[in-house]
This record gives sequence, C-alpha cells and structure tokens, in this order.
Amino acid sequence: MRPSPTTAASAPAAGDGILVARGVRKTYRTGAESVDALKDIDLAVAAGQFVAVMGPSGSGKTTLLNCLSGLDDIDAGEIVVDDEPIHRMSDARRTRHRASSMGFIFQAFNLIPVFTAIENVELPLLLAGADAKAARTAAHETLARVGLGHRLHHRPTELSGGEQQRVTIARALAGRPRIVWADEPTGNLDSETATQVMDLLRELHAEGLTLLLVTHDDDIGSSAQRRIVVRDGVIVADEALR
Amino acid sequence: MTERVLAVLAGVVATAGLVAVGALPVPVLVLSLPFLVVLARRPVLRRLAVRNAVRRPRETLLVLLGSLLGTAIITSSFIVGDTLNASLRRSAFTQLGPVDEIAPVLGAEAGAEVEAALRSLPPDLVDGVVTVLTAPGSVATPGANPRAEPSATVLEVDFERGRAFGGDPDATGLEGPMPGTDEIAVGRDIADTLDVDEGDTVDLYLYGAKLSLRVVRVLPRLGLAGLHLEFGSESPNVFVQPGTLTRLAAASTIPASPPTAVVAVSNAGGVLEGAERTDEVAAAMREALDGRPVSVNEVKRDRLELAQESGEQFTQLFTSIGFFSVIAGILLLVNIFVMLAEERKTELGMLRAVGLRRTGLVGSFSVEGWMYALASAALGTVVGLGLGRIIAGVAASIFGQGDFALELHYAATLSSVQTAFTIGFVISLVTILGTSFRIARLNVIRAIRDLPEQEGGRRQRVLGAIAAAVVVVVGGVFFAGSVANDDPYGVLIGPALAAAGVVRLTHNLLPRRAVVTAAAGAALVWALVAFEVLPDAFEDGDITIFVVQGLILTFTAVAMVSTNQDGIGAVVRRLGGGASSMALRLGLAYPLARRFRTAMILGMYSLVVFTLTFITVFSHLFSGQVDGFTRRISGGFDLRVASNTSNPVPADAVRALPGVTDVAEQAVVTAEWLATTTDGGFQPWPVASFDETFLRAGPVALLERHPRYPDDEAAYRAVLADPSLVIVSEFFLQEGGGPPDRPVEVGDRIEMRDPLSGRTRTLTVAAQAEAGFGNLLAYVSRPVLEETFGASVTTNLLFVGVAEGTDPVALSDSVNGRFLANGADAESFREIVNENLSQQQQFFRLMQGYLALGLVVGIAGLGVVMVRAVRERRRQVGVLRSLGFQAAAVRRAFMVESSFVALEGIVIGVVLANVVAWRLVGSDTFGESLTFTVPWGQLLLLVLATFAASLLATVAPAQQASKIRPAVALRITD
Repeated sequence: MRPSPTTAASAPAAGDGILVARGVRKTYRTGAESVDALKDIDLAVAAGQFVAVMGPSGSGKTTLLNCLSGLDDIDAGEIVVDDEPIHRMSDARRTRHRASSMGFIFQAFNLIPVFTAIENVELPLLLAGADAKAARTAAHETLARVGLGHRLHHRPTELSGGEQQRVTIARALAGRPRIVWADEPTGNLDSETATQVMDLLRELHAEGLTLLLVTHDDDIGSSAQRRIVVRDGVIVADEALR
Repeated sequence: MTERVLAVLAGVVATAGLVAVGALPVPVLVLSLPFLVVLARRPVLRRLAVRNAVRRPRETLLVLLGSLLGTAIITSSFIVGDTLNASLRRSAFTQLGPVDEIAPVLGAEAGAEVEAALRSLPPDLVDGVVTVLTAPGSVATPGANPRAEPSATVLEVDFERGRAFGGDPDATGLEGPMPGTDEIAVGRDIADTLDVDEGDTVDLYLYGAKLSLRVVRVLPRLGLAGLHLEFGSESPNVFVQPGTLTRLAAASTIPASPPTAVVAVSNAGGVLEGAERTDEVAAAMREALDGRPVSVNEVKRDRLELAQESGEQFTQLFTSIGFFSVIAGILLLVNIFVMLAEERKTELGMLRAVGLRRTGLVGSFSVEGWMYALASAALGTVVGLGLGRIIAGVAASIFGQGDFALELHYAATLSSVQTAFTIGFVISLVTILGTSFRIARLNVIRAIRDLPEQEGGRRQRVLGAIAAAVVVVVGGVFFAGSVANDDPYGVLIGPALAAAGVVRLTHNLLPRRAVVTAAAGAALVWALVAFEVLPDAFEDGDITIFVVQGLILTFTAVAMVSTNQDGIGAVVRRLGGGASSMALRLGLAYPLARRFRTAMILGMYSLVVFTLTFITVFSHLFSGQVDGFTRRISGGFDLRVASNTSNPVPADAVRALPGVTDVAEQAVVTAEWLATTTDGGFQPWPVASFDETFLRAGPVALLERHPRYPDDEAAYRAVLADPSLVIVSEFFLQEGGGPPDRPVEVGDRIEMRDPLSGRTRTLTVAAQAEAGFGNLLAYVSRPVLEETFGASVTTNLLFVGVAEGTDPVALSDSVNGRFLANGADAESFREIVNENLSQQQQFFRLMQGYLALGLVVGIAGLGVVMVRAVRERRRQVGVLRSLGFQAAAVRRAFMVESSFVALEGIVIGVVLANVVAWRLVGSDTFGESLTFTVPWGQLLLLVLATFAASLLATVAPAQQASKIRPAVALRITD
C-alpha cells in the first residue's frame, strides 16, 4: 500500500521545530545528464523527535539527510536548523554550526583510523572550541555511557564493528548536539549488535535527543516516532507512529 | 581484447625497434620475457596491470617522474665519464696523431744518433721514425701593446719526412712546405692567442735572441703539428726552419737548457690501433737502442689509459655521489607501491577470494611495476643524456680555465647508455618485485575487511629469529675479518648488520623502542668514529666508503627517529598549542601512525639533505682558507715567477726590481721515477732544486716528515746537506684525480732518472710537502739536480718576496711585461690560491647542482605521497568536514604532515653532515690546514629552499583535500 502524503503537503513555518526545510531542491549533473534528487521538499522536525527516513535505494534518502544537515549544497529552497538558515551560510560558518549543534552517525562508522577511540570522540568537542581537558573528560564519560569505558585507547582497527559504531555514536553525542543525523547506522552490523545499537539510540532519544535516521529496516523505521518515506526525490509519506 | 592487442602490439613494435637499432640491452630483454609472457598469456593479470596503470594518468606520471630520476642520474654519470674519456682520447689524435712512442734526448746530435738506431726497427712493426727538435720559447706580436704566449713550444721537423711519418699524411697535420729563413708556421692555438694569420709578423724569443718572423702558415692542432706531451688540451706550437734551435742554443750566452730531440716512433696501424702494439714496439726500441741511456716513453698508450682511467674515475665520482639520490628513488618506489597496495587492499583481497593465486597477485603487481620500470628507465635514459650534456657543459667551462685547460667535448657511447638503462631498469624491477612479494603475503579476510596485517605464526617467528641470528653472526664475522685485513667496508657494515640482527632477534623479548634506539644509536656512533678508531682500515678507502658511511648514518638515524616518533610528536604537539590545535594534531597523527611510509620519506629526505649539506660544508671550508693555503704553499714568499728553460728570467734582474726583498732560485726539470707505487715502471714527475734563500723566507709547509727532523726547516736543511734525500709532494706520482691510491711514504727509497741521459740516482723520502694548487714539485738540492740532469738544469722558477707596501699583483704584472722575452709567467701566490679555489668552488657548485637532483626525487616523492594520501583519505576528510573541521584546517593538516616529515629529514641530514664533516676535519683527513666552521648562512638557505620546495610540493594536494565536499566524499565511499 502506498502511504499517503500527510504533513508534506503544507509548507512549514520557521517556528515549527528544530529543523525546517522549504522547497528544497537538489539536482545532480553528470555531463549532459541531470537527475533531480530532491524535488521541492518541505519538512519540519520538532525538537526531541525521532524521525525515520525510509525509501528504496536511490530514492534520495541520503541526499535528503546530507542537504538538511548542510553537508551538501542545495539548488533551491531554504533550510533552517536550530533557527539558523544554513542554506545561506558560508562553508566556514556552516562547518562551525555543524561542529556546535549537530552529530553524525554513518553506516561505515567513518572513524579516523589514526586516532584512538577517545581521540575520535573528543574530536568534535575540540573542533567546537572546548578546552582540551574538558573535551577529554566529556569523551571519556560518553564512551563509558555507550559501554566502551574499557576501550578508550584502542584504534578503530582494534575494535569490532559494533564497538566502532558505538564509538561513532559517542562521537555524535559527545558535544551534546541539538540534532543527530544517522545514515543507516546498523547497515554494517549483525542483527544482535544492530539491536544493541538501536536500543542505545532509543535510550538517548528518550533523554531528549532529536534524531533523524535514514534506514532500510522496517523494524527500525517502525520504532521511530515519525516515519517519512521518500521516493524519486519526493516525500511520499510522512506519518506519526507514536 | 583492446588491452591485449595494444599491449602485444606495443611490446612487439617497441622491442623490435629497440633490438633493430641495437639499443635494447640483452639483459633487459631477458628480464622482460616473463612479463611479456604474462601480458600475452594471462588476460586477467594483463587487464589488472594495464588498467591500474592507466587508471590515474596524473599519478602514473608522478610515479614515472619519481622513478626515472634514478636512471637519469646513473646515465648522466656514465655520460660525464664518456665525455672526459672521449675528450682525452681525442687528444691522441690532436696532440699525438701517429706518434706512439718517443725517445727524448738532449740535443740534435744525440737525436740523430737515436733516430738512426731506431730506423732498424722492422717495417711490419713500425711505419715511421722522425725526430722533432723542441725548446720552450715565447712568442709575441710586435708593437707597443703586444699579444703574447710566454709558454710556447718551438719545434723543428722536416715537413716532408714528417708527412711521411705513419701511414696517413693527413693525420700529421703538417701542411704545405717547411718554413724557411725568417718564416714561421704557427699552430691554431697560438694563432688564436696572438690573433695572427698568414702574412703577419711575430717575434720569437729564445736563447737570449729575438727573431722577427713572418707567419707563412697556420697549422691545425693535429698529429705532429699539434704535438704536445704535457697535460692540457691546447698545443701552443710554432714551427721554425730546421737548424734554428741548434744555432741559437750554440750562440747563447745565457744559462739555458739545450733543445730536446724527441725521436718519435709510429706503430704500424692507425692512430688508435697502433697503440695496441706498444709492448712489442717498445721492447724492439729498447733492443735497438742497445743499452744507450735513453728512455722509451709509451706516450700514446699512456694517454689512452689516462683517458680511460679519468673517465672511469669521473663516472665513479658522479655515480657515487648520485647513488644517494638513486637510493632515495628506490625508497620512493617502495613507498609508492606500498601505498598502491594499501589503497587496493580490499580489491586484492577480493581477487584472492575469487581464486587469484598468490603468484597471480605478484604477477599482476609486478607486471604493472615492470611497465613503470621499463618506461621510467627509457625516459630516465633520455633525461640522463640531457643531464649529462648539462654537466659536461658546466664542467667544460670549469676545466677550460687555467694553465692546463682541458677541452671537454660531449660524448655518449651506446654501451654506456645501455648499461645505465639496464642498471636503472634492474633497480626499479628488483624494488618492485620485492615489494610485490611482500604485498602478496596479505591475509584474504583481513584485506577484504581492510584490517591491518598480523604478525606471522610461530613458524615464521622461529625462522625470523634464526635469520636474525645468522645476520648477527655474519655481521660480527665480517667486522672481525675486516679489522684484521684493514677492509673499511666490513668495518662499517659489519656492526650495522649485527645491530639490525639484534633488533630482529630481540623484538619479541625486549621493549622494541629501547632495543632499536640502542642498536641504531650504537651503529650510528660507530660509523662516525670508526675512521678515528681504526685509521689503518680507512687509509686506502675511496669515495664509495663515504657513500657506505653516509647510508649507514642516515638509515640508523632514521631508525632511531622513526621508533621514537611518538615522543617527538608529543613534543611538537605541546609546542604547537596542545590538543586544541586540531590541524597540527591531525597533521601529526598520520605520519606517526604510518611508520613505514614516514620512515621511507624520512630516509629519502635525510639522504638527499645529508649529501647536499656535506658538499655545502666542504665548499665553505675550502673557500674560507685563502690565507691559510697561501701561507702554506708560499712559505714566506709572495710571487712565483716561472720562465722558459731556453731563455730564463735572470734572477738578479728580478732582485734589482724595486720592492723585491728576496728571490729564491729553483730549477725545475721533469724526471722519471721508480717507486714501489709505480708498478715496476718509471713515471714522469717534476723535480726542483732549492737553496738557502728558500729556507730564509720559510719554505712550503710539510705535511709529514721523518721523526728525526724536529721541524720543517730541519727537514729541508737535511735535503740540502744530504744528496740522498728528497722531499716529495702529497700528490707525488698521482694519476687521475685526488691523492694516489698508494702514496709514497716518508722513508721510502725511490729512484730518480733523467729521461734524456738515463742517469739515475736513488733517494730516500725525508718528508712530504703540502701539494695544494699546483705545488706538486719534488725537492732535492741543486748539486743533486745538476749531477743527474746535467745541462738541462737551469734556474727557471723564482720565489719572490716583496717589501711591505708593495702590491704583489702589480709587481707580477710588471715582471710579465718586462720579461716577456723570457716567457715570464709571474703570479702572486694569493692569486694562484684564489683562482684555484674559485675553480674548486665551481666544481663544488656543479656537485651541488647534481646532488640537488636528489632533492627533486625527494620533493617528487613527497608530492606523490601527499597526492595519494589525499585520495586515500577522501572519506576521512569528508567525515572531518561533517564534524566541523574547516576547509582551511584540512589544508593546514596536510601541510603540517608534509612539513613535519620534511623538517625531520632536513634536521637529520643537516646534523649528520655537519658531524661527519667535523670529525673528518678533526682527524686531519684533509690536512691540518682545514678548520671546521659551520656555514650558517648557506645552510639556512639550503634548509629554507628545501623546506619551501617541500611545502610547494604539498600545496596542490592540500588544496585539493580542502576542497573535498563532505557529502560527495561520504557518498562516494559509502
């Protein structure tokens, strides 16, 4: 059954939430060809919401996440995150904004291989200008929080996949971001580890974290508060699950 | 299919073409066969190799650039040798022509007698005997502002007989009729110096007479017309009517040497082929001379051997100093291939998983490497030919100066080009094969999952330990044997080998950092002090020992630094602002984590900077020694006045000049010497007499004297008093460049012979004198010289002291003008030293330029590594950018990374080179006169230039990294 569009139909106002996107368009050009990856996306996410973005491969889920988080430029529209219009920001300012108020979790973990677990976790804190000692303490605490207090000084290659993803989560959370973006966070994990990781994310969400998560997994999608379905660059469904 | 067709076609066409022109060396062809077979028969491996090679053309170009320089350096070394060899061999045509052997005697009469004896030589052995009478003279244009050649050679020969001498009249250079009365034929060199042509008049001075002669012919510098038996490419010859020299000498009222009759013999065969019969002809000549006290000089063969030896020495010199750059190139190649393997690790693991055997993996990698090796060797050879031309050009301008100017003509032989091509190809191929085997040992699963390789199992550990123990034993035995046999190589290499073995042997038992630091430190210190601890072992060492020492020092220093990188990194981080400086932190993290790669780059930089610094320090040490050198070679004198033996400058006339305080008279003749170092034959070398005046002002400084003499003066006085003593110079009986391999020692007994009369005298070496800057004479007392050399002894060299306030340069100009007729060649000692030092400095600069090629390798290497690093870390840069890392910080991180490695290499190189130079100077290896000082200004320039070049090599990749858009990087990889 094809889900029916709901909130996507009306353009959200800036005061509606932590994330507001209006008329967002993104086109990829390769030589003479161009592909409309996002077509006039409107979306608002309230603070503390857990939103799952779903859809088939190539539908534009990751592009949506990249554009909304300011990792990628958009061709039209506007995006306001935490009251800041990131689509108008310079690259440097947008980078600072990411460092201070966003966290990222990737499918492939994307830890810096030459840094230890604790060094990876303290990285965003230091980038946001935190004192080195405070950053180290916060990183330690966050790693302990995700159950890796005993693996602080191990490099990524010395950790299992689940442990690496937990370091990624710790890295995303250490700076106490306003919003965390997760792109298939369990895609590279076995089912048991995936469950552990999702339990952890749900736990963190329960503590007030805003989470926007891209996934293929129906179970994970169903466990979110809100589910958005993207197809051919268009939000085709946006439903509140709880 | 396309690749197969392309590869096979290219291979066939290239191979056929190269074989057809004889350019492809056979070893290259043989070594390439397995790769050609793989290309033709294994489509998967071919596809992998070819597609990987063409996948990223820009990076392939960088790989080729990095690896071609090794071959270019080797090729240019051979070309320099070829050039010197060919230039000297050329003089066999221009200055000897048909002349293969000579029998010199004093006076025309003696000459005629010797010629008559030699005419009995069989015609199948000899195709010509002719006498050329020679005497030194000076030639000048008439008028108030004459152009002059004070050191001309005046010759007499019957042109008809001369042309018939040897098999080819054209090779004699004697054209037209013989000069008649009041006529002169001048050589091309004299014509150019005086700017005269046929019909002009010149004044010829000799035996106290002045002849005004009309130039009837300008003869080429060729064969007999160019006959010149001294060193130097020019032949300042003039030909006069036969009988002139004998007449003038007989009428002379001044003390002068009579003319020398050079009885020349031409061996049957051409200019070069004839020389092959030298032994046969020389023996026949000695037999024909029937016990006459006449020496037979094998001038042609000596000249050809000198050419060969000098060429080989130059090739060795340039190859040796270029070897550092070649090693740097090898390190670069290893680094590139290790990086390639790491980048492709996952795909290599997949290939292994789907059934590609380990040998297949080696095959794929090595075929790709073979293509690089072949292409880089070919390109390197071409670049090397150009480079050789540049070096030959610069060397030509350096050697073209001074009294013994040598004309260099660029030459490259096919065999040199082939050898250089083969060496470059083999070095690249062996490096690549070795790296490929190492790469192919990867574990499939770990490779696919991109996990680091683990240490081998118990079996491998045991095998490793056994191999390490063997290395320790071999190193120890090599060292002990070398100490016993005074072999410098084992003395240096043995301990380094043993240290490497100890590290491997104990790496599972003891803390690695402590063991590596201690072992490498011990090997480094030993390489520094071995020269002083075991001086006997290094007494006969050549430049390759310096290369070995440099390599050991550099590698041990790099090992020490690499193993302690964490500590160094921590210090740098602290100095650079602690953890808050993210660019610094990230920039240091990669070199500290990738130890092997960092060590490779460090090795490259350290080697190159070491050699550049070393040559800079030595250039500085010599350049700053004008006063010291002048004092040591001049004694207390200011001016050196040389003149013709046929018309010498009267010493009393010089004494009478205003401002002159002392004049020490010397007579210089060329003697022949028999010593333990001359391989059983006599070898020519100049000898001079000296007198009390020479001692009054203070003679040439001595380097070494017999212990019975308390000071230099006592040694000179002993020679004056004792007719059995001689003082020789440091470079006595030197052949080629630098001090002789087996120098004549103090206390040695040597034989001195007059080549004209055959009279001999046995002498004992009392001391060894400083030999700097043309001060090469052996010294005996005047009576000894006169008794041995008879009439040819005449005062022809004056050491002149001047009063305070008198300008020696102005005085030398005045002497040259006033005594033009005597062929006066006056020069102040300071000028001599300055000119020689300037020439030496130019040579040092040439060396620096050559060594700077290594810097190109280093910088290209750093560029390649950074370009690959950016590609390899795109995803990580994307992540960092997504986490809030600014673009500028990414750029800074890459700059920090390359700067850190470059600076470490620069520091290692600069420090080591200065320490080595300091120890060498301190141990008096280069004489006591050299004092060690650090050329701060030049070193700062070198460091800044190297560092700036390193930064420049990183700017583009760093900029590229900073432009990586996070979403793009993450999308590509995820």
